[in-house]
Amino acid sequence: MGALDYVLAGVAAVFLGPEMFSLFGLPVSLALAMVVLGFLTGILVGATPGLGGPMAMAISLPILISLFGYSADALLPVMGFLIGVMKGATVGGAVPAILFNTPGTADAFMTTLDGYPMTQRGQARKALKVAHVSSAAGDTFSDIVLIVCAPFLAIMIERFLDLPEKTALLLLSLSFIATVVGGSAGKGLIATGLGLLAAFVGTGEDFYPRLSFGTEALSQGFGPAAVFLGVLIVGELFRGIEDLWREKARSGQVTQYDLSGDQSLGWADLRRLAPHIGRSALIGTAIGALPGIGSSLAATLGYTVAKARHKPGAGDPKMGEGAPEGVAATEAANSAVSGANLIPVLSLGIPGNVAAVFLILAAESIGGFTPGPSVFRFTETAVNPELVIAFGLFTMMMLANLMNWTVGGVFMRSLGFLVRVPRQLLLPVVLLLTLTSIYVETPRFEVILFTLGFGVLGYLMRRVGMSPLPFVIAYILGGRLEETARQAFAATGADPFFLFNRPVALALMVLALLVIVWSVRPKGEAS
Amino acid sequence: MNNFVKAAAAAMALTASTIGAAAQDWTPPGPIKLMIAFAAGGGADTQARLIAEDLEAELGWNFIPEQVTGKGGLNLAMAIKDEPADGTVIGMVVAETLGYNMYVAEAGVTPEDFTAITTTAGFQMGIVARAEKGWTDFADVLAAAKGGEAIRFGTMSDKLSDLAYLLGRENGTEFNIVQVRGGRDVLNGVNAGDMDLGFMAGIQTAGVASGELVNLASALSTPLEQTPDAPMMSAFGVDYNADGYFMFIGPAGMPDAVRAALARAIEGVVTRDGSKSNGMITKAFGGPAVLQGEVLDGFLAAEWAAAEALLAEASQ
Repeated sequence: MGALDYVLAGVAAVFLGPEMFSLFGLPVSLALAMVVLGFLTGILVGATPGLGGPMAMAISLPILISLFGYSADALLPVMGFLIGVMKGATVGGAVPAILFNTPGTADAFMTTLDGYPMTQRGQARKALKVAHVSSAAGDTFSDIVLIVCAPFLAIMIERFLDLPEKTALLLLSLSFIATVVGGSAGKGLIATGLGLLAAFVGTGEDFYPRLSFGTEALSQGFGPAAVFLGVLIVGELFRGIEDLWREKARSGQVTQYDLSGDQSLGWADLRRLAPHIGRSALIGTAIGALPGIGSSLAATLGYTVAKARHKPGAGDPKMGEGAPEGVAATEAANSAVSGANLIPVLSLGIPGNVAAVFLILAAESIGGFTPGPSVFRFTETAVNPELVIAFGLFTMMMLANLMNWTVGGVFMRSLGFLVRVPRQLLLPVVLLLTLTSIYVETPRFEVILFTLGFGVLGYLMRRVGMSPLPFVIAYILGGRLEETARQAFAATGADPFFLFNRPVALALMVLALLVIVWSVRPKGEAS
Repeated sequence: MNNFVKAAAAAMALTASTIGAAAQDWTPPGPIKLMIAFAAGGGADTQARLIAEDLEAELGWNFIPEQVTGKGGLNLAMAIKDEPADGTVIGMVVAETLGYNMYVAEAGVTPEDFTAITTTAGFQMGIVARAEKGWTDFADVLAAAKGGEAIRFGTMSDKLSDLAYLLGRENGTEFNIVQVRGGRDVLNGVNAGDMDLGFMAGIQTAGVASGELVNLASALSTPLEQTPDAPMMSAFGVDYNADGYFMFIGPAGMPDAVRAALARAIEGVVTRDGSKSNGMITKAFGGPAVLQGEVLDGFLAAEWAAAEALLAEASQ
């Protein structure tokens, strides 16, 4: 079979697979229907404050497997649903960030910086449109890169990065996030330290649960849901409730945001946003292709670069004060990660983010498809069924993208009305939803207490002007940093200087130091 | 599985029907809390949930699954030990949890503090490398190591790290032992070139079948089903093994009738052709492997003793 035959076979596998029902005499395949269902589920989950794609994937995977079983026919429908959820949640995730200032995932945090000020100015629907266009564009670009480059790119990157280099890369990411994001390097470093501390409770390789004070409650650690949702959502809710209370005490009533002025997104807007979307799509794709770094860093980097390049005209809002460019740069970057993230997944079987982990688990549980270098062998004589499935996956991703551009847009525009829901009703509902979703995920009462505790921390951080993002990202990368460093140390035969005696690792370490030195320099002599 | 266990398992199968008659009388007084020591969505987690689902469908029992992960199953063990022993709380771990992991942790508990209910499936633990390395069995690895090559050996538990260390020491060489979270991480590490070889407990099956991976040795007390010609670790001077099972446990003091009823019920669904759990176990772990009652107690006692011996040997 030639390359083109493989592509066609993959497309056919999706459209001509087992039939679910027929629409106007045309058979609709199970795989196709599952992509659509998954997408709709994902967008709803993403748009609900407190819920996120990875959680929906974790809950739906066992259900899907028990529905479809382990036959070869099950693979495409199950993966289709998961891909749909992943894409839907990515685009839907911008909704609560923009409308209520409560991001469902760490990725969407930077979206709140400009999205919520736009809502406060009455431009909620426009912000949603910007988010949708940028997200869909970033995602589509990333998928195209995946389809064209997957086979050789991942293998090249993996060969280049050994364990010491991966450790150095994680350290560089942390020092970048700590110093560049919040505007204050000192506060950023403190937040990073706190995030690492939270990540180290109850984890580690020893059988003795670390930093748990001998208590049962702490011995399993805090859990990502309690940390993320506590700091990002509950902290924001606490601040929101206090703001409402003060507003009411001061003026006797509560300001209600509404839609006002021009909500349309015209060609002129798009031309202005295009460079930011394009740049962020590139950044997101590049970060996504690196194994194990993830979308939060991409969103941060996309936003930071856009901020540096942004030159607002007279009367236009600055970045951080409600500039559409900020929403566009963030959403394009975090969405561009999802496609590129599958590069290391498909060609090496190594996940870069949580969503990818569930795709691997699905493939592994059902069988018939083992992500790894064998997938991309274009065998001429015998058919390589895994390659057919890979092209089937690509087809489903493009289908989900199509859904994203069409249904996703209608959906996002229609949600603008939610901003009229009075905040004094909305905030408690979001709090209840968040706590419920955390309890459903981990039915232990301590986790609710942890969430509220991290909520207080998130509230205090906001009150002292400390960005919660370095905290959250340090928590995400903390466990991975420890593991990678430990492995690098073991793999180099217990060499304590493994970060400094290899050229690439050394260069990354020097960069990490330079980022810190540069950002704490006395501002006077810099310019 | 060693011969003693095999013979005993066969004997038990003959007498199982008589135990079963009494066991049928017991039904859970309410929903059963099912603790799972594995990350949500993974192969082991899916196995536990499918068994629960099959039991719900066939017997009308109700399960409430809950993840209690970490520390090689010890977090689950510590959480389940003080729960009621009336069959309403059970947990899924690996046999190593009540063996080496518990021995090393010195957490103040022994297998006596638990009731082992039944195993469901075994591991096909092999020592695996990528085919492009050019090694065909473990002797080639030793030759490379003695030739001065720094060899990175991936493992996924303290016990396996000890075994890797002994494999080096008994052959006059030393490996750089890289311990990671689970079998998938070993496979990833080997595929990415971060490790040269590693222990894999069945996850290598597809790769070996397609010729990309090679089983260099069996880490079991028996040859590997997929590569029966691969040498055993005893051929390299290491007389310990990494035999292991997925296993359901409960708190100590569970009445015999309850224990037998749970064991029979779980055995019933995992061994029945066409059940969801049977399909999954056959695909992912090469078929069910059921040890119960005294046979299982005997196996765990032997594991506990072996843990003590292995630890003493490795710390010499």
